[in-house]
Amino acid sequence: MATQIIMDLNGDTRHNFDAKDVKALLEAERRFKALTDAGFTAATRTASGESVVTRAFDPTVEETLFFPRLVGG
Amino acid sequence: MFVTLLHDANGQLRRLLAACLHLARGFREWYLRASIREQRGLKLLREWLSQEQLAQYDAHRYFEVIGCHTGKRYRICHGNGANIIELDDAALPRRGWCFVPRDPLVAGDVMLAQKIALETDERGALAVANNFTPR
Repeated sequence: MATQIIMDLNGDTRHNFDAKDVKALLEAERRFKALTDAGFTAATRTASGESVVTRAFDPTVEETLFFPRLVGG
Repeated sequence: MFVTLLHDANGQLRRLLAACLHLARGFREWYLRASIREQRGLKLLREWLSQEQLAQYDAHRYFEVIGCHTGKRYRICHGNGANIIELDDAALPRRGWCFVPRDPLVAGDVMLAQKIALETDERGALAVANNFTPR
């Protein structure tokens, strides 16, 4: 089961989906595009735990984290 | 006459107490929800920190990251803003940096976004950041 984690006012919202389910995969890809188009950064982790920013939807990734655009504080 | 006044006062007191109780319940729910959000953010942060960073955070309420472009070391302190300290070679504070996610997020989420930004796009993060003199 793959997961998309979106940081939000509730801490985060998680969307789990079965990567073998075509419909669920399309929905996950649509969500990925909608979030990145809205300025969210998508990040994944390598096997060694290193963070990596990803620009394109990868159906093989187990966990993708989205955080809002960064601004000066 | 006196009994009527007493009866009215009793009714008003009951309504006042009911209103206070309603407010107290509302405050309790708000506080618990905020606490759950904070805990959820910290749980996510802990899942994404390296073992070394997690140990630092547990011990000091801060953790350090290495900027991907310059190799500089940054200390991310627990907080929602003005919480990043650039360290010099002697691990002393050199400059403070402030950048945060555009949307209001809990501290754990803010610190995690800052960590990922510095580790994957240091220049991009500092380009939008404001800097300050650390205390």
